Amino acid sequence: MFSSIKARFQNIGTIKALCEGAERHAREDGQRDAGAEHFLLAAFDLPDGTARRAFAAIGADSAGLRPAIERQYADGLKLVGLDPTLSDVFAAPAPPKQKLYDAAPSGQAVMQALAAERVGHRPLLGAHVVDVVAGMPHGVAARALRVMGIDAAALQAAALNIIREKQAS
Amino acid sequence: MVDLNTLPDPDDPESGFAAVIALRRLADGLERRAVRSALRQGWSWVRIAQALGVTKQAAHKRLSDVPTGDETP
Repeated sequence: MFSSIKARFQNIGTIKALCEGAERHAREDGQRDAGAEHFLLAAFDLPDGTARRAFAAIGADSAGLRPAIERQYADGLKLVGLDPTLSDVFAAPAPPKQKLYDAAPSGQAVMQALAAERVGHRPLLGAHVVDVVAGMPHGVAARALRVMGIDAAALQAAALNIIREKQAS
Repeated sequence: MVDLNTLPDPDDPESGFAAVIALRRLADGLERRAVRSALRQGWSWVRIAQALGVTKQAAHKRLSDVPTGDETP
């Protein structure tokens, strides 16, 4: 009973840190609303360290995610014959939002998936975010993982293993 | 000049969407830079909206957070 209440309060703090972190990463990326890729970057910043551990477990370097995301924009421009360096030219950080918190559709999908599984979060970990994002087949995050040579199914399995270990301890 | 032969294969939607996202991000950045410049030159939101081909309300809602660089701290 007490552990369930404790976990619930811990989860509220984790969700706040995730949302604020995702928004910060989105702004640094020149975007106003956080997408799934920004939630994944925010999961790396969580003190539980499980998101980074999930990447390490499959031999991937979590530090490679941001460059892989940036490469999506450069590669996208190259696909239509434009200079890929243009993606940096206009990538000024977006100003902080004055309105209530909102996320891009892919970011909303991450939050909805986390909310749907919240009963099993004792507590919510960065590895839960990895599990959700690695399960998304399309979008910037999915393409960034592919660019990093990551097998999304293996990453999901690693995240689930870490969650199980953490919850058993 | 864009070489049409380099455009994404229409049968490869994943590449097409990647290009769309990159172009949208580029267009957003270009738009914000132009609005910042217009505001610095004293353009009204009515004029900015007309130049962008949207309503004043739509322009203001989407772009009113563009900093002009002249804000007092």
